[in-house]
Amino acid sequence: MNMIKKILIAGVGGQGIVYLSNIIVEAAMLSDIPVNVSEIHGLSQRGGVVTSGIGLGEHCTGFIGKAGVDLLIGLEPLETQRCLPYLHKNSSVIFGNYRVQPYSVNAQMAEYPDVNVFVNYLGEQCREVVFIKEFPENIDHVLYNIFQLGRATRMKDFPFRANKIDEAINATVTGYYKDKTLNAFNLGLAYELKEQSA
Amino acid sequence: MIDRTVKILTPHFLPYKTCVMGNEGIARAALEAGVNGVFAYPGTPSTEISEIFNHVNSFQTNPSNKEKYPELTSDPVYFEYSINEKIALEKAIAYSIGNRSALCVMKNVGMNVASDPLMSVTYQTIGAPLVIVVCDDPGCHSSSNEQDSRYWGPMASVPMLNPATPSDAFEMIKQAFELSGKIKLPVIVRTTTRVSHTRGIVTYGNINHEHRIAQFERLPEYINIPARTATAHSRLLDKLKSESVLSLLKDNSRLILNGSNNDLGIISSGVATAYATEILYQNNFSKNVNLLDLGLIHPFPEKEVLAFLEKGFKKILILEELDAFVENAVRNIAQRNNLTVNIYGKGFSDLVVTGEFSIDLITKVLGDFSETLFEKNKNIPLDNPEIFLDKLPQRPPTLCAGCPHRATYYLLKLAIPREHSELIMCGDIGCFGLGALPPLKMIDTINHMGMSISMAQGLYESFHDSEKSRKVVALLGDGTFFHSGLSSLVNAIYTRANILVIIFDNRTIGMTGHQSHPGAVRVPKYHEIDIPTLIKGLGVEVVETINPFNIHDSFEKVNKAMAHNGVSVLVSKAPCIFLPDFKDRIDKKMKIVVDPARCNSCENHEDVALSCSRCYAPKNNLSRAKAKLLAEISIPGSEQLCPANICNHGFFNSILEGDYKSAVEIVRDKMLFARTCGDICHRPCELFSNEKNVVPIKKLKHLVSSIDENFRDFSQPIKRAKDAIRKNKMVAIVGAGPAGLSAAYDLVQSGYEVTIFEKENKAGGMVTFAIPTFRMDKAGFDYEATQLAEMGVKFQFNTALGKEIFLEKLADEYDSVILAIGMNKAKTLDIIEDNIPVDKRMDALAFLKSYNQGENIIKDGSVVLIIGGGNSAVDAARSVKRICQDNTVIISCIETENLLPAFAEEVKHAREEGIDFFADSYVKACSLIGEKINISLHGYLSKHILRELHCDYIITAIGQTTELPAITHFNIDENLRVKSDSCFTGYKNVFVAGDISSGNNMSVIGAIASGKKAVIGIRKLLEGYKFGYEGEKALERLNTNPAPTIELRSTIIDGNINLEIEKYNLFQSCQKCNHCIDNFGCPAMVKVNGKVQIDMDRCTLCGLCIDVCPNNAIHWETVAEAEFEPVETI
Repeated sequence: MNMIKKILIAGVGGQGIVYLSNIIVEAAMLSDIPVNVSEIHGLSQRGGVVTSGIGLGEHCTGFIGKAGVDLLIGLEPLETQRCLPYLHKNSSVIFGNYRVQPYSVNAQMAEYPDVNVFVNYLGEQCREVVFIKEFPENIDHVLYNIFQLGRATRMKDFPFRANKIDEAINATVTGYYKDKTLNAFNLGLAYELKEQSA
Repeated sequence: MIDRTVKILTPHFLPYKTCVMGNEGIARAALEAGVNGVFAYPGTPSTEISEIFNHVNSFQTNPSNKEKYPELTSDPVYFEYSINEKIALEKAIAYSIGNRSALCVMKNVGMNVASDPLMSVTYQTIGAPLVIVVCDDPGCHSSSNEQDSRYWGPMASVPMLNPATPSDAFEMIKQAFELSGKIKLPVIVRTTTRVSHTRGIVTYGNINHEHRIAQFERLPEYINIPARTATAHSRLLDKLKSESVLSLLKDNSRLILNGSNNDLGIISSGVATAYATEILYQNNFSKNVNLLDLGLIHPFPEKEVLAFLEKGFKKILILEELDAFVENAVRNIAQRNNLTVNIYGKGFSDLVVTGEFSIDLITKVLGDFSETLFEKNKNIPLDNPEIFLDKLPQRPPTLCAGCPHRATYYLLKLAIPREHSELIMCGDIGCFGLGALPPLKMIDTINHMGMSISMAQGLYESFHDSEKSRKVVALLGDGTFFHSGLSSLVNAIYTRANILVIIFDNRTIGMTGHQSHPGAVRVPKYHEIDIPTLIKGLGVEVVETINPFNIHDSFEKVNKAMAHNGVSVLVSKAPCIFLPDFKDRIDKKMKIVVDPARCNSCENHEDVALSCSRCYAPKNNLSRAKAKLLAEISIPGSEQLCPANICNHGFFNSILEGDYKSAVEIVRDKMLFARTCGDICHRPCELFSNEKNVVPIKKLKHLVSSIDENFRDFSQPIKRAKDAIRKNKMVAIVGAGPAGLSAAYDLVQSGYEVTIFEKENKAGGMVTFAIPTFRMDKAGFDYEATQLAEMGVKFQFNTALGKEIFLEKLADEYDSVILAIGMNKAKTLDIIEDNIPVDKRMDALAFLKSYNQGENIIKDGSVVLIIGGGNSAVDAARSVKRICQDNTVIISCIETENLLPAFAEEVKHAREEGIDFFADSYVKACSLIGEKINISLHGYLSKHILRELHCDYIITAIGQTTELPAITHFNIDENLRVKSDSCFTGYKNVFVAGDISSGNNMSVIGAIASGKKAVIGIRKLLEGYKFGYEGEKALERLNTNPAPTIELRSTIIDGNINLEIEKYNLFQSCQKCNHCIDNFGCPAMVKVNGKVQIDMDRCTLCGLCIDVCPNNAIHWETVAEAEFEPVETI
């Protein structure tokens, strides 16, 4: 049994990390799974790092320790790499290739890390790795998070059924974005990987 | 947002389980407890609580909601963001005294501001319940310290609750309201980031709608005077011993784990309980320990703790974040009760006072405590993650794309640059504090809320009587100004401090999520205070409002405010990008694009590896940007190109920056003769420009190369020559004139071994012999020429071609040869040769050579006729005049007045010196009559007699030819000049440069350029060099403009150069630019493959980057219809 108990979502302020964790929380509530979340978003609107840890089950907080993440949803490649200490050999990782360059990279004081080498490394080290090299053109970048969630639903031992996520989106999202969110989710769900390097 | 508000206001008659953030649970609990009014100041991690009440208040007071949701709006909760925490708490106390229950919310440091009312109200009394929520921030995620607010409990003698989870927080808020009502004391609920910002399951219930009628009773306790305080203190302490407190202590001292093993006991409080519980359960160790969680920590649960201690554990572990608050109390109890149990707290294992706990830390501590190997899980970490982690760039927060603060900082960078000044800038708390980080770095100090103005006036005062007295700048946000900056400003005005206060007015409290403040209200219930009016009312003389996006207009205002002696205030006013005011002004049908051809590219250098001026020009050079902003005259760099390919734009901008040394180095990157060109270059870069008013490059070159210290320092070119990778190829250069010397300069820096052969006994050629001493600094030229020897070039003087050396032999012995022997034989006129004796006639070259050697062959008071209209003629004429003022000098030439080949400036000088010109004339007849020469000058075009004149000497200056012995090897033109293909003669490995080269402009700069061009040819031949000659464009222009026929321009400036040059902007795209990244740093500007691109996902279309780019590479573009789709944010 490879229970997914701890999920970590990582990215940059503005990528909809909290939004995504809200949907997962709702899915857990709908599935009667106890859930706790811990978010760090100190200066999120100022382009800082945002992470959201989700703990599923009794006595399971959202706090994340080293080698403590069972599923990592990375919304930004560099921030995905920053989460390496939290992964273990049985972790599953899904991450997308939507880059948000930090200032140091733009100023050429640092180099943006190589994503291909990283994908290969993860492929060797982790249980399952899904790398979305290119997002379909018809999805707004603000919905890449939902698209990834859709694809994640098909990963091994994902803790909820797709219809629970669907229900959760219906329960948490209202107005203009509801259809767009459901659409992005369904596209992700149906997404087949091309040229997967890992 | 309405959905969330409806959710939080909806009563539940049956328990309703939901997963909410700790702060949301707190707000809901206050509603369930029947709170009437909420008073707050925003601050992470407390903000969500007050935000909820802000929304609740707008929801409940919105008339349309009153109809739609009558139940939810029947008993509206009052809410305000007070201007600071002190006012918030004071008002909450008063509200409670008016018999309305109150909640007061703030972050850890806010409690310091509110401590005055807290410390006194306890001695008095309150009316309705009053609960204070204070949120601590261990680890300082977003605070200026990690103070432990639990001490306020004993400090102010108020009950202090310390929840571990959202669910605890929810319950404790309700308990706090109840207790406060009973004992008539404020009750504090203290959370931490990991309680406030975690989400957990909370069970909602009914909402208490008990209606409290406002009333005020005249009680003696409301009057706080010393006579009453002594008894009040003991009455206060009695309240803490009341039955309701005792029962709450019991309820909140929970034995969470009650293991069978009585060896190990843990007492924990706050989030530590949550960590410990998870780890103990995950490791199946929960049955082996006893864990007592303390929820109410002041008054301390002595009875409960004593009972726990008396269970007879071998060891007790105390888990609490930050200070040893619980630990000290437990030790105290153990000591007073003579218990000998071992207590482990701060200092044990990894337990420290600083920072946050984590799963890893508590796992280690529990493992050490239980002497059991604890695993967080059975998981195996990944192998060698450090190979990735060590290289990861950090991601510090930055100001948003479009942020008006960045605009203000950029403006300040240009207006009050800090690179070369001691200007102190005192910052404050808020988003704009990110201006302390790269690339802005415009802040020297940040303390606590509102300190900036005090810091500035205090620093001003410390320097006041010293020589370094200066104006100090304070920077603060609009919210902070009202929070606590205002009173400090009053003090500054009152004490006549010399400070500039800049208020970053982005119309909101930005950092915490865009709350209103008195200077920016968005609802009619509040009255807006106009900041400039307020400050003017206080008596500040210079108060200016600026729009930071209009840097041009704002620049002057900044200077004015800076120049004022006394308090001056700038209000930089533009909305935060999250406000509708910002979004409304954006035209979404436009986008911003960067022209890659103009971004980080170089227009005139191909081989940037070869000493490009980017090595010197200061990286943070702001003068380019400033020139773009302020200069009256903007000239594209391509208009002022140099045939020697000197980076005129880099040269000029170094001077703008005041860096004259770099300016000289930039000249020397490409060319040896900085001072010589400053003297005698005929400045094609200025003359052949299509612009009317041009940058006076030559004058500037003269200025910077006249600074002897810089001029004498040749260490850079010498170093380049020494460091060059050796090519092990030998090049012979025949002729040490400017062409040959320039070729040697480039070759030796490219790693070639160079030998120069010169028939004279010193270097210089025409420059040394033909240019009169009054036009140039000969010693300077000699110094420049001799530096070549320092760089490794070998000279062989007194070695003439055809005598000591032979071209065929050189070509065989050397890898390549450059022939640069010049045109050193004067042309003659038969009519003069035939009719005038040798002692009465001479050619200009011979005359100038003798003049330069100090020989005088012309008797004083002579009349001298010069024939020719070129520079040699004018040089000779002016020299004759210099020999003796009484000499009469006449120039006759066939060219018309406005087509003289001589440089216009020289002609002008000659005329001023009294030299007569007979343009459009020629010598029709001449004869010697006695000692005088009789001349008949006829019109060249008109052919009629112009004048008959008598003179003593004739100097012919009608051009030069060569006395080339080896000329048979080459194709030669009608002037006996050698034809070549890009300087290659076609004969063996021989190249040609300088005047001898056919088609080349016969000028110093022409010679230098052709020397450089020959070097490129040689490098292509010998090393397969792949770049072309870079000065081609300018050289073509030089060669096709045989004479400057344009009016002499008035750009020569003799006065204060610093004042004059600021009117110019000589702009050019530049490979070393990086200006926007280095100085502006907008997150929407992304650098890809060396070029800046605009990330449209992030760009907010503020448009300032268009003004920022010194190269004019950024512009608006209309979005194609298909691409345009309205974007909403989630």
